Amino acid sequence: MPLVRIENLTVGLPPGADRPLAVEDASLQIGQNQIVCIVGESGSGKSLAAHAVMGLLPRGVSASGGKIFFDGVDLLEEPPEAMRKRRGRDIAMIFQDPMAALNPVVAIGHQVAEQIRAHRSMFEGQALKQAGEMLEQMGLKDVGGLLKAYPHQLSGGQRQRVMIAMALSLSPKLLIADEPTTALDVTTQAQILALIKRMQTARDMSVLLITHDFGVVADMADTVSVMRHGRIVESGDTKTVLGSPAHSYTRALIAAVPKGECRLGAAPASAPVVKVDGLTKRFRRGGLFSRAPAITALDNIALTLSRGETLGVVGESGSGKSTLARCVIRLLDPDAGQVLLDGADIAHMKEKNLRPLRRRIQMVFQDPFSSLNPRQTVGDIVTAGPRAHGEDAKVARARATDMLSLVGLGPETMHRFPHEFSGGQRQRIGVARALMLKPDVLIADEPVSALDVTVQAQVLKLLDDVRRQMNLAMLFITHDMRVAAEICHRVMVMRHGRIMECGPTAEIFANPATDYTKALLAAIPGRRTR
Amino acid sequence: MTSFARSFFCRPMAAFGFAVFIVILVIALAAPLIFVRGPFTIVGMPLLAPGSPGLFAGSDVLGRDMAVGLAYGARISLLVGVTSTLGAIGIGVLLGATAGYYGGMVDDLLMRITEFFQIIPTFVLLMVLVAFMQPSLGSAVIGIALISWPQVARVVRGEFLSLREREFVQAARVLGLSDARIIFGQILPNALSPIVVISSMMVGNAILTESALAFLGLGDPNLLSWGSMIGGSRSAMWVAWWTTVLPGLCIMVTVLALNFIGDGLNDALNPRRRR
Repeated sequence: MPLVRIENLTVGLPPGADRPLAVEDASLQIGQNQIVCIVGESGSGKSLAAHAVMGLLPRGVSASGGKIFFDGVDLLEEPPEAMRKRRGRDIAMIFQDPMAALNPVVAIGHQVAEQIRAHRSMFEGQALKQAGEMLEQMGLKDVGGLLKAYPHQLSGGQRQRVMIAMALSLSPKLLIADEPTTALDVTTQAQILALIKRMQTARDMSVLLITHDFGVVADMADTVSVMRHGRIVESGDTKTVLGSPAHSYTRALIAAVPKGECRLGAAPASAPVVKVDGLTKRFRRGGLFSRAPAITALDNIALTLSRGETLGVVGESGSGKSTLARCVIRLLDPDAGQVLLDGADIAHMKEKNLRPLRRRIQMVFQDPFSSLNPRQTVGDIVTAGPRAHGEDAKVARARATDMLSLVGLGPETMHRFPHEFSGGQRQRIGVARALMLKPDVLIADEPVSALDVTVQAQVLKLLDDVRRQMNLAMLFITHDMRVAAEICHRVMVMRHGRIMECGPTAEIFANPATDYTKALLAAIPGRRTR
Repeated sequence: MTSFARSFFCRPMAAFGFAVFIVILVIALAAPLIFVRGPFTIVGMPLLAPGSPGLFAGSDVLGRDMAVGLAYGARISLLVGVTSTLGAIGIGVLLGATAGYYGGMVDDLLMRITEFFQIIPTFVLLMVLVAFMQPSLGSAVIGIALISWPQVARVVRGEFLSLREREFVQAARVLGLSDARIIFGQILPNALSPIVVISSMMVGNAILTESALAFLGLGDPNLLSWGSMIGGSRSAMWVAWWTTVLPGLCIMVTVLALNFIGDGLNDALNPRRRR
């Protein structure tokens, strides 16, 4: 008998939402000792389906139909108090952002112990001892110190391990993991996924894994269900679904996943437009009375960038790749070194002298939600740059309409506000804003990491198209090796503010010179099975 | 009608507040046309109850028409409230925005100045300022503006500190916009909601502060405000409730209307909450 049987589950949304039902007529089974994945894009209802099992639907949202059988009991019929006891003991959950899920002012040990004591009567000391044992099982070192530490003192991977320790401390039969690795670096992601898999085997537990990443599905799942607009469009054995998808949506999703195969050969040869040499940036910490040692975010970085070429900068969080982008475009002031833009050093130029040159280097930002001013219409946003450089407002607006159509948006876009658009559309607006100044250099800082895979593929194609059309030199910052392979001629791998290696994309992927690059490539989800 | 106005007036509380405020404003502006006599003219016996012949709001301790006093008082109270708030907003936004946007040394310096104003008991400072400048309408306005800007500066600075880290501000810098354009064109519109909300509260506060000044004899002796009416009638509070309650009600209704307007503006200014 399967552990969980979801039958025709329907979850309603409050009036005014973009659709009446978050989950519609979804059926799904989770067998004993099985890992089941629900995969889908944002807004597909996959998260709400999982929360319904946990009995933790947000206010205003409720399961309006169907049944969720857990060990033969219908969870939707169970009284709240029985359900509360079941949470943690029978069903446990881990979330995407462990920092948000942990209490920032309570020591780790107490948080894990509290979870145990909420269900079993024992003394604090006893619970703390158990907590320590759990953390040890999660592969965490120096457990004694960890128990006394606070969440902000831990790395993202450690926090997620603590969350898993908490979830597993009462030996639940089912673990629900809602995008557990989305906020983590690729190597950490691989470790956490391996840990979940190991725990699942060791403890005879079932796992319901929510993800948007087909690589993760391929690595982890026994069976998979694909969700779209609240409906499960396809379910089945992972090998079958991934190997020969029956539904056209599944096929589109799988096709959109970057394969990590290098698309572009060598860039057309031309003189470099940007030359960076000896670029160094330190961040000083501490206030007036305490001087902590400075952190070196960039250490003697050198690179060149030519017209028509895309240089990818890859690395994990904290590698300094975003700091590099911000120093090159002078959002940050570098401490040493030079940034030559056609021979002129802009690294230490006064803001007043730099302003006219700014139009030549433009940037596309990571967060499609915060990178557009919410109080301005798209027309005002896109024409702000040209107007600041003295272009006539009428001319700018006419050009803006053309530019928006170039990035695939209609002229009516001009009068609307950013919040009326989806993430992908907003990223297109961001690209249009950058291109309005006819730049020579475009810096893209993780431009697709906040987007769904299908949208990701479209935005990557757009960036590559405009790079070709306008003969741009593009500096592409990303943490995702697969994305870098898709769009870059050359790749530069960074770690702790230093360049590990730099070369043509195909070469780096085929013959990585450093262990670090090898580790990054090995951690790409879905690689092992492909 | 613009979508902003439509969005503002489709909120019943906001529309109600706006209507009440307009009525008070019209009465205040038209006071010399409605009433033949001035507010200081004695019209009959003191402390006549409301509804007495010819005196629908009664008379005060000196036998002056309360209705005339209330209408003329509205002129002074609103004038002081609105102008001193505008002044405080002006100073507060300028200093708060500068401190929040530039940070570092500039921020430290400006915030120490702000704290200097905050640690002094404000009303004592106000009394000193007004006494120093000679009591008059102008000195009351300047004094109230000078004691109320620090809270605006603090709020604006806080908003700027968080907003300047947003990517759209970085995008504006990359586009080559000048600092003034970024501060006033990009960031300030996003910081408007809290400014609008506290300014509606501040108008009410300024009206109250002016009353307290007038009560202490530091108001303009030649002008009648709601505050000076309450101050002047406090000895009659137990025998003639209307002498204090009516001007008090006027203050309350005005402040309430301003708060409704503030809330309505807050929602209507936010495109995301526009309906």
